[in-house]
Amino acid sequence: MPPEQTNLLQGTLDLLILKSLIAGEMHGLGVSRRIQQITGGTFVVKPGSLFPALHRMEEEGWISSFWGESENNRRAKYYRLSKAGLKQLEVETKRWGRITWAIAQALETS
Amino acid sequence: MSLFVNVRSFLRNLFLSRRVDGDLDQELQSHLEMLIEENIREGMSPQEAQRAARIELGGAEQVKEQVREQRIGNWLQSVLSDCRYGLRQLRKNPGFTAIAVLTLALGIGANTAIFSVVDAMLLRPMPYPAPDRLVRIWESSLKYNSSRNVVNPLNFLDWCDQSQSFESMAAISGLMTNLNSHGQPIAVQGMQVSPDFFSILRIAPFLGRTFIAADGVSGQDRQVILSYELWQRQFGADRSVVGQKIDVDGQPSQVIGVMPKGFSFPKMKAEVWTPLPLARTEEFKEGRFLTVVARLKPGISIAQAQQEMLRVADFTAQARPDYNKNWSVNVVPMLEDATQGVRRPLLVLLASVGFLLLIACANVANLLLMRGTGRLRELAVRSALGAARSRIIRQLLAESLLLSLAGMAVGILFAYLSLPALLALIPQSAPLPRSEPISIDARVFLFAFLASLFTVVVFGLVPALRLSTVDLQNALKQGSLRGGVGGHQTLRRSFVVAEVALALLLCIGAGLMLRSLARLTSVDPGFRTEHLLTMHIWMSPSHYSDNLKRSQYVNQLLSEIRNTPGVEAAGSTHFLPLMDQVSGSCFAPADQPVPTPAESPSAQFLIISSGYFQTMGTALLSGRDFADRDNFNSLPVAVVNHAFAERYFPAQQILGKQLHVCWTIEKPVEIVGVVADARQAQLQDAPEPTIFLSHSQAPMYFATIVVRAAAPRQVAHAAEAAIHRVDPDQAVSNVQTMESVLSDSVASPRFQAVLLFVFAGLAVVLAMIGVYGVVSYSVSNRSNEIGIRLALGADTADIARSVLGEALALTGIALVLGLLGSLALSRLLQTLLFDVKPTDPATLIIVCFVVFAVSALAAALPARRATRVDPVITLRYE
Repeated sequence: MPPEQTNLLQGTLDLLILKSLIAGEMHGLGVSRRIQQITGGTFVVKPGSLFPALHRMEEEGWISSFWGESENNRRAKYYRLSKAGLKQLEVETKRWGRITWAIAQALETS
Repeated sequence: MSLFVNVRSFLRNLFLSRRVDGDLDQELQSHLEMLIEENIREGMSPQEAQRAARIELGGAEQVKEQVREQRIGNWLQSVLSDCRYGLRQLRKNPGFTAIAVLTLALGIGANTAIFSVVDAMLLRPMPYPAPDRLVRIWESSLKYNSSRNVVNPLNFLDWCDQSQSFESMAAISGLMTNLNSHGQPIAVQGMQVSPDFFSILRIAPFLGRTFIAADGVSGQDRQVILSYELWQRQFGADRSVVGQKIDVDGQPSQVIGVMPKGFSFPKMKAEVWTPLPLARTEEFKEGRFLTVVARLKPGISIAQAQQEMLRVADFTAQARPDYNKNWSVNVVPMLEDATQGVRRPLLVLLASVGFLLLIACANVANLLLMRGTGRLRELAVRSALGAARSRIIRQLLAESLLLSLAGMAVGILFAYLSLPALLALIPQSAPLPRSEPISIDARVFLFAFLASLFTVVVFGLVPALRLSTVDLQNALKQGSLRGGVGGHQTLRRSFVVAEVALALLLCIGAGLMLRSLARLTSVDPGFRTEHLLTMHIWMSPSHYSDNLKRSQYVNQLLSEIRNTPGVEAAGSTHFLPLMDQVSGSCFAPADQPVPTPAESPSAQFLIISSGYFQTMGTALLSGRDFADRDNFNSLPVAVVNHAFAERYFPAQQILGKQLHVCWTIEKPVEIVGVVADARQAQLQDAPEPTIFLSHSQAPMYFATIVVRAAAPRQVAHAAEAAIHRVDPDQAVSNVQTMESVLSDSVASPRFQAVLLFVFAGLAVVLAMIGVYGVVSYSVSNRSNEIGIRLALGADTADIARSVLGEALALTGIALVLGLLGSLALSRLLQTLLFDVKPTDPATLIIVCFVVFAVSALAAALPARRATRVDPVITLRYE
């Protein structure tokens, strides 16, 4: 039985995309599968969310894109993390840390 | 860095949109193929794999749309496409477009034209560096009700010594000056100024230098600075004129500089500047005649300067109590000072064109609503295809924006074309507060642009919001769309009511102004203005410093003029009536203590020649006029006017009474005559008590000669020649008929009245179109009902009555609102009106009647059409 899939919290998608691109350049499907993998199958990113996010982040300058060859010699658009993206990843990670800490605090308080 | 990336993406999205979209297509295509491959690897059949992949992708078009919405600059793309679409829509309806654009162009054009005047007169900073630090300093007196009074020289010197708030202060005294240029005497307006005058204004000379402190000290050569225009006109733009000697008022004076082109000082025309020698001497102890300009020190506010000057005024009041008691000081920003008097009339005009623009907007909004109702089906289809409400509103606004920009373009053209006519209406004789050119410049363009954006909000937003809320589903379902738009009729009616109310407001304003102008021009000035020629002379002190010589000179001039063929009478006065010039002096009956300016009553005085009253046509009520026998060797005499006799010697025998007049304090004068009252400063000012003194006993350095002749223009040349026979060096200036003086003196109220009248006319036309539109629309809406009623035997007169009734009910509401509005605004107009109350019942009734009649006329056409509805045709269509 597949693990229960959770809706992506707002803002989390950027973090996950940035995090998955740390491993190296990859195309859209790769990013999607990578996220599935690193979250233990909790998050499945649909193209309808993935591509708008990728294009937006490219316009922000966090990632850059180029056309390359896939594993099966297919032309595919690849994305890679830029310096600004690396910085953004740090920012988002810290923010996420704060959120989880705050939520945990809130839940512990009785 | 990030901004750079943003801008690059923005530009790429904007200009390479096709490539960007192609890229996205390919990316999604390869994504889909990879998904299929993945599925096949997991053991699906090719068909199954394809199906699963498509399900996962979830609609390539939707994904693409979602990506597009995320893109930077997406809004601009859609606005551009809205505009393209709007343009097509407008082109499809040339009639509608033309009417809407023309209406807006009228409104925007009128606003632009008036704004160009307002901007040049009121808003633009003074043409000097750091102009907001410049102030004017006046004396002020409650007793004489004068908040901006010219300044006494000794007080000015005290101000300079005792104040700390100013970098520097300069005094100015305006003076006619006679120049001798190539043997031809010419009179030019001159200004005597203290040395700091130019450095306070921070204007450097075009050639040479400006004054330094050593200039103007007696015993030295006189210096003179020329205006650029005079230098061009009289000295042939010769650069070597600097350093040369020219003849100024009969004295050789050295030209030390030429000012730059266009240099001027508000309300004072001047073409030559000479140093103003001031000293703490007896000569300057009395008389207030200086105007003062100063520059504030950095960091000092007007209020601080005012506070300090009040303390200085206390000092001068204590130092010379008999002259300065009850006098204070008033510090005014220079721009405010220069625009005083034109501010309110111009703002009233600006408000009027603002109303006109609102009316135009209401008209176009109505047009849009009517057209929008016809477009409901189109809007419904778009909405059904997934357009959000915001998108539909944006689409409608884009069309409005196009309309108003077209209106702006045509409006600026209108303004440009009408500007010469507008400028021709501006009184030329009165010195304008500003001499800067009035033109359609970048600021005016910006104003026109903002005005048109404003119109979009006013005329476009309401219909857009309204149309987008219509139940579009319902609209689609219904065969006829007319039923679903009942609410708009109310909106349209409100627009028409607002239009007519605003038009009424403008008409009331115009009516009051015209009535006021009529009252003003029918005032009896106390003299006969027709067949009267006037000319000004200035007697150079170097030739005519001797009082006796000066008085004989004028008498000689006058007798020479009287002998000229065609001349019936001639006389002189020091200040011509209706030129806004008065002089005042304190006085007291001779049996009372010697008068002082602080304690004694004050009256206007005029220095005139014998024959002045006869020439002007002012009636002698009792006693006698001045005569040849009144001279320096005889008893000083005076004539007073009726107002003076009434105020100070009521029910007494006034002839033979003796007065001490401060102006000629040496000897008392005996009153030998009483004349009828005449207006002096302005037509609207009631006659003040006035003392007339004889030029033969108290001569001035300047005089205006008045000549009565059947054909005043034709004797002008001969009269000038007569003057030159007595003194060939005498320059004569301001040769004009009294009629043109009178006409110039009411130029300003005439300007306001004519413009308001034009605006009111336009407003009425627009409102008429509005009423016509709404009534005829309602008739075509009701044609079914009318048809049925006619078929059932209704009287055509009843039908017409019901249509007309609707229009007149709307007009009635509008009239009430307009009247209420005019009451609310009446205070604003009050000061612009002469002898007419803003609530003048006759004007209000006439204007209401006119507007009502015009509305009835506008509604009559559609009403007539309503009676001609053919029941057969309308019923067949149902």
